[in-house]
Amino acid sequence: MSLLSGIVRKLTEDAKNILAVPVETARDVTYTVEAVRSGKVSPKEPLKTVGATAGALVMVLALLFPVYWILQAALSGSGASLYSANGISLFPEDPTLQAFVWVLGDIIVPGYSIAFNVPLTDVALVFDTPQVTLLDASTYGIDRPSDFKHFLWNSVTVAIPTVIIAMCLIVPASYALSRREFIFRRKILFLYVLLTQVGGGLGIALLIGLYAIYVQFGVNDSKLALSVYYAATAVPFNTWLLKTYMDGIPVSYEEAAVVDGAPPWRVVTEVIIPLSTAGLATVFIFTFLTGWTEFVVAQTLLGTDNYTLPVGLYSLVDEYSIPWARFSAFALTFATPIMLVYLFAQRYIEGGLSFSGMEG
Amino acid sequence: MSTASRVVRRLEEVPFLESRDASLLFVLPGLFVFSTFMLFPVLYLVGISFTDAAPSNLFAGEGVFSVMTFGEATFVGLQNYIDVLTDPEFWNSFGVTWLFVATSIVLKLCLSLGVALVVTNDRVRGRRLMRSFIILPMGLPAIFTITVWRGIFSSAEFGLVNQVLGTFGAESVAWLSTRWPAFFAYNVTEMWLSYPFMVIITVSALQDVPEELHEAATVDGAGLVSRFFHVTLPSIKRPVLFASILTAAASFQQFLIPFVFNQGGPARANELIVVYGYREALSFSEYGRGGAVSLIAVVFIGAFMWINVKRGKLADGVSDE
Repeated sequence: MSLLSGIVRKLTEDAKNILAVPVETARDVTYTVEAVRSGKVSPKEPLKTVGATAGALVMVLALLFPVYWILQAALSGSGASLYSANGISLFPEDPTLQAFVWVLGDIIVPGYSIAFNVPLTDVALVFDTPQVTLLDASTYGIDRPSDFKHFLWNSVTVAIPTVIIAMCLIVPASYALSRREFIFRRKILFLYVLLTQVGGGLGIALLIGLYAIYVQFGVNDSKLALSVYYAATAVPFNTWLLKTYMDGIPVSYEEAAVVDGAPPWRVVTEVIIPLSTAGLATVFIFTFLTGWTEFVVAQTLLGTDNYTLPVGLYSLVDEYSIPWARFSAFALTFATPIMLVYLFAQRYIEGGLSFSGMEG
Repeated sequence: MSTASRVVRRLEEVPFLESRDASLLFVLPGLFVFSTFMLFPVLYLVGISFTDAAPSNLFAGEGVFSVMTFGEATFVGLQNYIDVLTDPEFWNSFGVTWLFVATSIVLKLCLSLGVALVVTNDRVRGRRLMRSFIILPMGLPAIFTITVWRGIFSSAEFGLVNQVLGTFGAESVAWLSTRWPAFFAYNVTEMWLSYPFMVIITVSALQDVPEELHEAATVDGAGLVSRFFHVTLPSIKRPVLFASILTAAASFQQFLIPFVFNQGGPARANELIVVYGYREALSFSEYGRGGAVSLIAVVFIGAFMWINVKRGKLADGVSDE
């Protein structure tokens, strides 16, 4: 639990920091202006800072332009194409959320009746909850909304088992590889480094073999079988990553715990796990994303009914025309939660990917 | 606990194992699952590459084990390998793949080093926030990003790149239907796809560079450029090298970009090797040939990683405690 409350505390801190940014900046600016006026600081210094910041901003905006471009396409209504005859426009002409409504479809919480039988009597209390309509697509002129919710459910049921299975395989292995000495340890490590990047791409090379075997065992349309496969491909890279992270935790902490009389399992739960939060978060996100975004294998193995979000997304694409507004709205709805997780988990990911065990 | 200690005692009875080797049990599940899903298909692929398997004969037999014994496909020996290795299209694909690895790694390195240096520069305000935003592309599903870039490089006059060229008065380029422009488009997309990963690693490496080193170099009169080459670069070399090897291997196996852009076209000229194997197998129904191509790709990527891991000494560092 302390892990969770720690995360919550850090998140609130982040939120506070972000809110405080404009105030801080304003204070900084007035302070610098004062200093320049009174001649304490030469005007060159703040100008350099402003110039550098502006340059960096331009770079960030240029890099993220494709994301903005797609957001604009999503807002420009259902009939839009990405191409306008009169040059590039930075803002959509008549922004509308229609495409997003099409993606989400109806959001209706159906009414339930809840009955309580009062014991020892024949009286029953019946409550009818009202039907709550949060969003009714037909009022926006959309008759056939997308299958987004169906795909979402499929993706969730693929990604969550992937994460659980992968974590069960990865965490003990990385602990053992980082802290224990045993037979074949170096060989296994070497093999994992060798295979770090092989998982995803070779999955395609091996697709024929994989497909034949899945068909033979009759699991080619099973979401669980797919998650086991994803978990398997995630093993080498993530084990290596987490092990490298754990190598950065000083052994002296564990020794202190052992001296205090902690049994081995408590050393792990009280020292190693809390200290490797960043590494664990990174591995968690990476394994989740494997299941959430993989396309080729999912498309080959799954039937139409079990399509996950990426496959469902690509099924919108026609050979010659892409319904850009709907396509982008679909993709953004699908990607926004991940992007938010990235924004807030950034400090963990940076820490987790630092390869701190690898000295230069 | 008693079960665990019993297991340990059992292990001690095995002649060449010691009690500490019980830790191997932590690693075995992962290794086992990985091998089942990776090595097994590889072995199957080895089998299939010696046959003339195609969907019609592979799934023809009856019973559970018929697929396992390659159905009614017949053994053709090394025929597939001979066919593939004498096919100029294979060598073209092979060459294009290595060229793609080389060009994309240079582009990725330059972009990510540049970006990382900017977002860690002391002069830049709001670095943290910029870093958060800059890695956003990593959260976008690859299939989406690649389709968007296909739209950007659309050969039509209204594609974004062509519009930008148009505002500078240049001619429209038929990006995806001419060979080298398409190759260029692959590179740009690959660069955009993988820069967040490289930037994250480079940024954390840059933050680990001790401030004192920079100060000492400044005192000794080193300029910005020489400080970069003599202080920064040596200290971030290892992590950046590791990241480059990983993304180079990923580029070698790039599938989605060529597949979504133009199926490795025009006229199969830009088929990277994984796409080539995939198309041989699934578009032209030559499972045997596709298997042979895929295996050759596996051998090369394995050799590439092996050499890099050995030469870059990536597996030590930690193993030498």
